[in-house]
Amino acid sequence: MSTPTRKARRSRTEPTSPDGGDERAFLGRLLPWVLLVGGVIGLAAAFTLTVEKIALLRDPNYIPTCSIDPVLSCGSIMRTAQAEVFGFPNSLIGLVCFAVVTTIGVVLLGGARLPRWVMLGANVGALLGVLFVHWLIYQSLVVIGALCPYCMAVWAVTIPIFWYLTVENMRRGHLPMPPRLTRLAVTYHGVVLTSWLSAIALTVLHAFWDHWVTLL
Amino acid sequence: MSRNAQVSLTIVAMVAAVVGLLLFINRPADPPAGEAGQASDDARAEMLVRPDSHKLSTAADGKVTVVEFLDLECEACGAAYPGVEQLRGEYGDRITFVMRYFPVPSHVNAELAARAVEAAGKQGELEQMYSTMFRTQPYWGDQRASHRGTFLGFARDLGLDMTRFEADLDAQATIDRVLRDRTDGVVLGVTGTPTFFINGALFQGQPSYQGLKDAIDRELAR
Repeated sequence: MSTPTRKARRSRTEPTSPDGGDERAFLGRLLPWVLLVGGVIGLAAAFTLTVEKIALLRDPNYIPTCSIDPVLSCGSIMRTAQAEVFGFPNSLIGLVCFAVVTTIGVVLLGGARLPRWVMLGANVGALLGVLFVHWLIYQSLVVIGALCPYCMAVWAVTIPIFWYLTVENMRRGHLPMPPRLTRLAVTYHGVVLTSWLSAIALTVLHAFWDHWVTLL
Repeated sequence: MSRNAQVSLTIVAMVAAVVGLLLFINRPADPPAGEAGQASDDARAEMLVRPDSHKLSTAADGKVTVVEFLDLECEACGAAYPGVEQLRGEYGDRITFVMRYFPVPSHVNAELAARAVEAAGKQGELEQMYSTMFRTQPYWGDQRASHRGTFLGFARDLGLDMTRFEADLDAQATIDRVLRDRTDGVVLGVTGTPTFFINGALFQGQPSYQGLKDAIDRELAR
């Protein structure tokens, strides 16, 4: 008996369009998993990069495990100034932030409803993260001209983390946005994410086209 | 399936199709001798060591030949360099060591560095310039700016005739010479640097002193 009641209550508090209903219910369950899985992947990447950095400091001739070929070359990236924007290795930021993201994911998965200011704070953090990541993508593709697989893992998870935090905050009304925009974002959340990630993937392909072709 | 999932999947499929098509169209042309990697042994041997390829050491008996495709700007090549030098010192005239250029396009100064080595070779200082490049690589490698001035400085330090050096550095013949090496490498299946061939066989281990030494000893013992 409890199921229909809960459903009825939900449809009262969250009026749905015929199409958006499923997506709404789905979105609520999706965010904790995005944060948990994305956080763990990001944490693993940041941890590995930190360990590699230490190995590189100990032995300047050390070849990182992710230096596979001239383009996929962590070593060349880790030695650049861009790898230490704030005077220390960027991966330390990842270690701290992805741990927090993972924790929030676990807490939400446990059924907690976090206050508005916490969710908005996480969103601001994710925004800074996503801006930083795009600057790093530009540096990697255009300025340095090499790729670092672990860093790319961080790019790949930071974008969905930011996007789904934002959509969830819009959906719950934490983030005041025009209702039309919120409806669009909720209904087509996957389209936005796929387009975003595809654009990055195409840019990476384009930047090193000569290299990818030789791998065939 | 929801509209969201439908549209998302359509985007993924379209991107994959377009990229796949472009990769298919742009795949490297098959070498004239046959399909890549399947060229006959003779053709491969000829491609590995051309008459104009640079032999840094020459074996009296010609029993063991080590060919390295290298990029002067690649740090893995720089890391392999001391081991290679040590081996060349220890084995002296028991192995032939052939240096082939394989400047990778994403390294801004790699091709210029190879041309500088080639131009120095025109004045008999090829090996000096090659060593200088690797020893100084941390100072000029992995940067977007051109290091032409740096390389001219190396030539000056080696006491080269600078007018001639600059002319050779920019000569179309020098550019072609370097790129011919790279083309041979691509046809032979080189995808990254450093790539070693020991008596024609692709060396697949770690290009460390010990790894190369073991492989060379095996060939010498044959």
